[in-house]
Amino acid sequence: MTGGAAAAGILPAFLAAMDRIAWFSSCAAPLSAAETETASSYVAALGLGSLPVAGVADWRAAQALAQRPDWSRAWWDAESGAEKDLHRRGAQRFGEDDFLAALSRVTEAAASIHDAAEAALARAGLRDEGLAKAAAGAASQACHQAALALLAGAGQSHAFALKFRLFSGGRWPLGIVQERCFVF
Amino acid sequence: MSAAHAPVKSVAELKASEPEYQTAVRKIVRSHAVNELYGAQVYDEPAIALAPNPYLKWLTCRIAMEEYGHHVRFRQLGEQIGIPEEEMTPKGRRPLSIFEFPLRTWEEFCVVKLLADLAEIIQVEDLADCTFLPLRNLAKVTMPEEIFHSQFGKDTCTELIKTADGRSKVQAAIDRYYPMMPAFFGKKDSENNALYRRCGIKQRTNEAMRQDFIGRVKALVEGHLKLKLPAVAEAA
Repeated sequence: MTGGAAAAGILPAFLAAMDRIAWFSSCAAPLSAAETETASSYVAALGLGSLPVAGVADWRAAQALAQRPDWSRAWWDAESGAEKDLHRRGAQRFGEDDFLAALSRVTEAAASIHDAAEAALARAGLRDEGLAKAAAGAASQACHQAALALLAGAGQSHAFALKFRLFSGGRWPLGIVQERCFVF
Repeated sequence: MSAAHAPVKSVAELKASEPEYQTAVRKIVRSHAVNELYGAQVYDEPAIALAPNPYLKWLTCRIAMEEYGHHVRFRQLGEQIGIPEEEMTPKGRRPLSIFEFPLRTWEEFCVVKLLADLAEIIQVEDLADCTFLPLRNLAKVTMPEEIFHSQFGKDTCTELIKTADGRSKVQAAIDRYYPMMPAFFGKKDSENNALYRRCGIKQRTNEAMRQDFIGRVKALVEGHLKLKLPAVAEAA
């Protein structure tokens, strides 16, 4: 089997899962114990230790939180480092061109998430093109990261698999601010 | 001039049209496919790391995806009309000269969105009356996103110039990128542009679009942002 066929063979179930997700459908609802546990595990899997997890009340609060100047660069750097590691492993496994072609399929499939973000905002009585695009961008990035983990064979306990699980439940993980992980 | 050519409604009709018309359509579709991808790779993807907070990083992710999506749409049309795939990537075709000046700062990205996406809007506006209807439809579909990207450049530059440091950095970025923008519209007496107008694919000369761009940029940079445009040679 070629690298392209092998990479493509892994993707259909993931693409189908993406298609079934009710993106942003749980935003603003109180976090369940399971969601809080998943968020804690996500932070720990990034190597950032044990941090408290907090919910976010509404879309405007989420937008403001994501623009705070005191956000954690260590969190973003940990994700970027994990992306590079998974990219190297995935490219070794399938070959760079076939690996990138598989990731491109995920990017193309993620294009429709924007409509879900607009719909979720509309349900909240909001119309904000920039916020819808930012939310869609965050979810698309999570799809890309989860696909990296999947293609690299990283397993379900990888930070990106856990982050994708939060998005799959209709959430938007907003990252770490002031030593606290926020999930909308 | 465009009235001289009847509308071509489909890829099947294109295949039955005169060779010159087919050549013109292939050239312009190939150009858009290459440059949309190159723009995403050289500007939008690197800008994610430069963005100052998660919100702008995610918004930039989405913008990069939309630019990539434009490439995909032009590439799909290109495949339907028989353009080899390798000719629709930067590896296979030489891109525009602006792409040889990669990003160094977030302010530069905001200025690229302000200037280059306005230039793209002017190019896409000209396709809105294109005689090849699949291309006309594609222009209409991509236009709202291009308008958002340009507005994003205006909004972020407007925010940045509220501080003296930001104002200085935005001016430096304009000084760096604006001089290469007039050439974006091609040569004054371009044979390709003459071909496009003969076929009704484009409506205006390169020079007319260039002058339109310069006027609109002056209003944005000097009128709205109260910054200065560097003197440049307007003719390519």
